[in-house]
Amino acid sequence: MNELIKKLVEAYGPSGFEDGMRDLIRPEIEAYADEISVDALGNLIAVKKGSGGGLKVMIAAHMDEIGVMVTHITQDGFLRFTNIGGVLPHNLMGSRVQFANGVIGVISSDRLEDRSKIHPLTKFFIDVGASSPDDCPVGVGDAAGFIRPFLAQGKRLTAKAMDDRIGCVVAIETLKRLKTTPHDVYFAFTVQEEVGVRGAMTAANHLDPDVGIALDVTLTGDVPEARPMAISLGQGAAIKVKDSGMIAHAGLVRLMKQRAEAAQISYQLEVLDGGSTDARSMQIANGGTAAGCISIPCRYVHSQSETVDADDVESCIKLLVEILANPINL
Amino acid sequence: MDTFKLLQTLTETAAPSGREQQIAQVITELWEPYVDSLSIDRVGSLIAVKNGRAPAPRPRLLLAAHMDEIGLMVRQVVEHAGNGFLRVTNVGGVDIRQIYAQLVTVHGRKDLHGVMASLPPHMLPDERSDKPFGYEDLVIDLGLSMAEVQANVSVGDFVSFRQPLRKLQGKRVSGKALDNRASVAAVTVCLEYLQGRAHDWDVVAVATVQEETRLLGAYTSAFAQRPSAAVAIDVTFGKGPGANDENAFELGGGPTIDIGPNVHPGMYQALQDAADALEMSVNTATHARYSGTDAFGLQIAREGIPTGLVGIPLRYMHTMVESVDMKDVERTGRLLGELIVRLDAKFIDTITAAMMEADKS
Repeated sequence: MNELIKKLVEAYGPSGFEDGMRDLIRPEIEAYADEISVDALGNLIAVKKGSGGGLKVMIAAHMDEIGVMVTHITQDGFLRFTNIGGVLPHNLMGSRVQFANGVIGVISSDRLEDRSKIHPLTKFFIDVGASSPDDCPVGVGDAAGFIRPFLAQGKRLTAKAMDDRIGCVVAIETLKRLKTTPHDVYFAFTVQEEVGVRGAMTAANHLDPDVGIALDVTLTGDVPEARPMAISLGQGAAIKVKDSGMIAHAGLVRLMKQRAEAAQISYQLEVLDGGSTDARSMQIANGGTAAGCISIPCRYVHSQSETVDADDVESCIKLLVEILANPINL
Repeated sequence: MDTFKLLQTLTETAAPSGREQQIAQVITELWEPYVDSLSIDRVGSLIAVKNGRAPAPRPRLLLAAHMDEIGLMVRQVVEHAGNGFLRVTNVGGVDIRQIYAQLVTVHGRKDLHGVMASLPPHMLPDERSDKPFGYEDLVIDLGLSMAEVQANVSVGDFVSFRQPLRKLQGKRVSGKALDNRASVAAVTVCLEYLQGRAHDWDVVAVATVQEETRLLGAYTSAFAQRPSAAVAIDVTFGKGPGANDENAFELGGGPTIDIGPNVHPGMYQALQDAADALEMSVNTATHARYSGTDAFGLQIAREGIPTGLVGIPLRYMHTMVESVDMKDVERTGRLLGELIVRLDAKFIDTITAAMMEADKS
């Protein structure tokens, strides 16, 4: 599975520029899906038909990642940029980014007078080796993603864009392993999650599922001076009860817990204070969806060293397979 | 119907956003005698339909009163010398200044009584003694050992505030969750008012879920029910010492009718006309951009729904001593009832045409 993870996390795909991600994911799922389609916003949707008597279930994992977009090129050929999604300035110094055309740039900032402070985003720039706007190989409006090689050390997997390519991996693996299901399952690889859970919104409005389950990363409370949170790496799949954008459907949370316990899958209950997922959009779509989320615990979210645990990833896949292979009574 | 008992039943039932099953059951029992059908939708909103007398298909008016309340949720179980304590986070707009020393119920494997605990001023350093506590300073003490807590409570369990409804002087009452059970009570009064009165339109009374967190029930019920028009009922700010005079209203001065971007001027006028017909004292409230109520969600469902907003003045919002005047609750119910009785087949066309005329002027 590490091969698939490496392929997805190292790929380019800032929000709004997910074409390449679709091309990578499609061949992985083609043999297992009954139908595959792409909607107007670019969501990639794979359908696995149920054997009957089940519900319509939407699974959402977002393909996009945070990144940057060029706003201005200086006379000296440096690029000023804005954020795509939740880019944290303190993670930027010395970063490398890559544009869709392959051009690589390094990020630095205006001189820092006071080293105890961090510059705002507007004081950072990208250096692609150009000396003027004329010889600059990228232009205003071009988007770049961070680059950082995938690292596997024992059970710990580190990469940029683990948020949420690891969710895509959970979706792909689930689709592969799900032999039969009573439900019509729509695996949506969504776009533009990082800029306001937008792809999942249109996909859910269109698909009108009974149940929506997002697959995304969540924060942990197991690092020095972390904000107290009862989630640790390696302790199992996280079943979301609440985040700052939604309260999960109580019946769906109960069902997830029951399935995990019955199949002896390790799990933790998640109450997250900051952030939300595609489940937020699915919940409020149309007449409402019973929405929840299986989260992959992840340290250092929105940095280029997002770290997850392979056992947790496996637990998430097993849990989702158990949920989908069995009847869903909410 | 005894309004105090009605409010007592409604406010003393626990229903933090996301855990509305218990209050939905209570409201079902209250509304059942007055309506033709009752159901719970996909996200938990209670939908009650009272059929009108016009030939089908009839226009429908949706009344939205949210039934959830602010509360807390367990985020961590911590141990101290063998005792178990709970750290919590907020569900909805909890005012951190006032949750210390409150009585709470933890909805674990069973309901458990607890208190919101922290250190007394004697034990705090001087610079901390006059500052409100943050969530990091507060725990719930259930009086149980760590083992007993672990056996009964888990992360993600809901916590509700526990406070009986009290009578103040006159018709004033004070308690928790009057935001928005006062409005649920008003809808109940409305349904009772409609008994024995003819109305053409169907009435779809909805007790919505998760308003305090994201107006969830308003968006989804308006989409699913596709009403011809809608009215949100919620509490509004009561006048009192320190309250600003412009958008705060006397307790006992009657309901407020909102004008602003979240409402349709035709609905505002129809509510004013209903108040005139009843010779009822009402006040106009205003909002700019966002009313902070279900009206915001109702208005943009489907192709857009003409929406009105009625408010019940309330002091000390989002505290355990929220206070209202029961006369305002009763008046709000009658106002809604009168609005419904007056709705006819031409209503939507009339208010739409009025919008066009306003445009021409």
